[in-house]
Amino acid sequence: MGSLKSFITSVRKAKTIADERAAIRKESAAIRSSIRDTSIDERSRRTLIAKLIYLYILGEPTHFGQVECLKLLATQSFTSKRLGYLATMLILDENQEVLTLLTNSLDNDLQHSNQLFVGLALVTLGNIASTELARDLYTNVSRLVQSSNPYIRKKAIMVAAKLIQKDPDLTEFFIELVPSLLTSAKTHGEWLASLALVKSCYELGADRQLLRAQVPQLLTQLTSLRTTGFSPEYDVAGVPDPFLFVSLLQTLRVLMADDYSDEKNIDRLTDLLTQIASKVETLKNAPNAVLYEVVKTIFEIQSDSSLKILGVNVLGKFLGSKDNNSRYVALNTLLTVVQHEPKAVQRHRATVVACLRDQDISIRRRALELSFAILDKNNIRVMIKELILFLHTAETDLKPYLTGQLTLAIERYSPSERWEFETLISILSVSGNFFEFDIVSSILGIIMRCSDGELVRWVTQQLFEESLKTQDQFALNLICCWCLGEYGESIFGSVSPEKIVSLLQTLLVESHYEDKSNTEQLVKYGLMASLKLSVKLQQYPQLVESLRQLIASKANDINLEIQIRAIEYGEIFVQPLDVKKGLLEKMPAPAFKSHKGASLSTAVPQKKAVAKQEPDLLDLLGDDIPQEAVKPSTETLDLISGLFSAPIAPIAPVAVSEPDVEPVVEYTDAFHDSNVHVSFRIKSSEPGHAVLESRITNTSIGVVSQISMLVAVTKSLKLQLLPMTGTSIGPGDSVYQQLSVSGKQGAKIKLRVKLSYENVAPVETQFDFAGLGQTL
Amino acid sequence: MAIQFLLALNRQGKTRVSKWYVNASDEEKWKTESQVHKLICSRDHKNQSNFVQFQSRKLVYKRYAGLFFCFCIDVQDNELSYLESIRLLVEVLDSYFNNVCELDLVFNFYKVSEVIDEMFLSGEIEETSKDVILQRVQETAKLD
Repeated sequence: MGSLKSFITSVRKAKTIADERAAIRKESAAIRSSIRDTSIDERSRRTLIAKLIYLYILGEPTHFGQVECLKLLATQSFTSKRLGYLATMLILDENQEVLTLLTNSLDNDLQHSNQLFVGLALVTLGNIASTELARDLYTNVSRLVQSSNPYIRKKAIMVAAKLIQKDPDLTEFFIELVPSLLTSAKTHGEWLASLALVKSCYELGADRQLLRAQVPQLLTQLTSLRTTGFSPEYDVAGVPDPFLFVSLLQTLRVLMADDYSDEKNIDRLTDLLTQIASKVETLKNAPNAVLYEVVKTIFEIQSDSSLKILGVNVLGKFLGSKDNNSRYVALNTLLTVVQHEPKAVQRHRATVVACLRDQDISIRRRALELSFAILDKNNIRVMIKELILFLHTAETDLKPYLTGQLTLAIERYSPSERWEFETLISILSVSGNFFEFDIVSSILGIIMRCSDGELVRWVTQQLFEESLKTQDQFALNLICCWCLGEYGESIFGSVSPEKIVSLLQTLLVESHYEDKSNTEQLVKYGLMASLKLSVKLQQYPQLVESLRQLIASKANDINLEIQIRAIEYGEIFVQPLDVKKGLLEKMPAPAFKSHKGASLSTAVPQKKAVAKQEPDLLDLLGDDIPQEAVKPSTETLDLISGLFSAPIAPIAPVAVSEPDVEPVVEYTDAFHDSNVHVSFRIKSSEPGHAVLESRITNTSIGVVSQISMLVAVTKSLKLQLLPMTGTSIGPGDSVYQQLSVSGKQGAKIKLRVKLSYENVAPVETQFDFAGLGQTL
Repeated sequence: MAIQFLLALNRQGKTRVSKWYVNASDEEKWKTESQVHKLICSRDHKNQSNFVQFQSRKLVYKRYAGLFFCFCIDVQDNELSYLESIRLLVEVLDSYFNNVCELDLVFNFYKVSEVIDEMFLSGEIEETSKDVILQRVQETAKLD
């Protein structure tokens, strides 16, 4: 059998894929036949396994060599064992027979007098531990954790941290050792491993008091790490071991989060964080990694406001740096921080805005999201100006988000109505093809609610002039059509009615937008506008005639709905004037439909209260259309019903069964970020079993889609998840999901939740929740 | 909070180092590796950050000549710190192989794996001193 080197060389020498396949096939066959040979010596077996690993790296099947790997483990030479364990980590699958053999080998080696063997076995166990392996071998590990050899000790502690994750019941065998491990830890390796063990124990809900009692010890270690001078072994860019720094901070953060209340320790940590944040230079990646961890810590423990401002300022420095990586993490963090510290984030507005022009699209997207998060009534003029500039150069797929957010922001924070319309029209004229339809209707709503007649006239005129210039901006043209229909008469003084009619003709006949459904939509609006205008142009009979012809020209349209409308409108067209006038009255302004942003927590209960009072059809539909908007004025209703002789049945009082008969348990907040709010409640419970309901509410002003929530419970509990009521939520709405949890009576319900959804960019987050205050 | 897998891929998409700390079938691993390659290679390395979202996690990667070193980590992990650990790993390899190149990784994959196992265990960074790691692997190399 040739050497490993010659095998690799022959594969590399192959000039074509076919040659390469041939070389691999040949060698693979040779390996298989060697395996069948029972007389091969250890050395050849080593070569065999090395080649097998190489085959594996090439992506070839290797399962036939599993037993051979285990044979190598049973030898007593370090080199053979090392290769055997390496192959084991890569090639072995869950095959039961093989696993039993592996367990035996590991068990032997963990107890071996040769420390090298023990080390190999620990590495393998740590990397491929399964629940079974953890249960079978933990006694060895708990002995090795107290070994006198620091090399073995550090590895054993790290393995322990992994084993308890595989089987939380094992925690009790290791947690008692934590205090002494921390006291005796000398090398950085031991510290890193012990901290990993502390984190694992804490996350699994072990004796938290015991773990929290270690906080002073960790603080002392952090202080000494900070004050150590230069140590060439661990120093990276002037930071004495950034990795240990990060791990210490992470552990402290985990231990001191939530209800941690020891003031003295919080003060000590606050001092340390302040010192680190103000002393460490932000230039290189290593110090930045530490600073980033400091900032994360600041926002997760109970920090005072000056510390929080310091944290935001560190991120501000990151934002201003030339390093893409720092900017990326800064924006990500600011997005989560902005709700808590809006003022502090505001101060870095200029830097955030500058990131809108970044080369990196992921930075631009995050900067955009953050820009909207810091937008308020004080900075609206500047921000909107910047964002409109950005709109010109933005990627196409971002534009609908942008136009939507811009419209809502303008609506909410506009300093004056005039400015509001001016800005909206300027956006419509450049990005009219990137408006979601509900945003278009909310713009129409804004116009309808405007009580200043002169301003409405001005808006109509502006829209008319812009549309005259360009007929390829869908939303602009559409809103223009609508306004001409509603308020056309107001501009007769400054614009000749012929021009208005001719614009309608152009739009109806000639516009073609990229999206075909937009073209159809515009035609429908144009037809309506033509019909409405005809009433207002009584003194221009030939214009009325052109409008009639315009409507009639669509009576043969291939689109059924347009055709129906054209014919219906044609019918209305020839009705007597007073009937037409009644029928074509101005639309009543719709009620303000709020696209709620941050203040959703109050909005939701309100909606619920309404639903309780009037259990009618609307609620059955689960719609939140305001009542006024749906109930037309009776006069119009009569006319329509008379005309089409289709009497509208009065809304029958449908008996809606009260949805919640059991006492309603309030939702407990579990998590929120800039887009969603997650809460849980207990729907029903009996000893040992509970049905929970989760509610995810969209607090952003865009649509949150692709929602998925994965939930895990501690090993002692069983969990069943029912499908969510939807995977996408509009602004202000919620989706629900039921979870049924069962386990030992009296067990605390603890959930670990992984939530992912898509807003502008995909978001992925994880949190723990144990705040239900009720046991099984 | 840990590394899910660690890869070194060349620009053609050949996997040179692959170390997994979570259970996955071979097919899943190969599929993931090619997805990672596609994602990373298509990025603009001058103007984009070294982090990218990948499925429900994120990738931290760095290019050294024709090789990408890449870690897949949890969303809440500290990207900058893992980027630093890539640098440390490459520095150790560089010292060990005396100016490491792709071919060293190809022919000595078992040595590379040993270095990784000295530095990371069960997906957590375990040793941060270059000297300690080097000393250990150089000692065991004498036993060959």
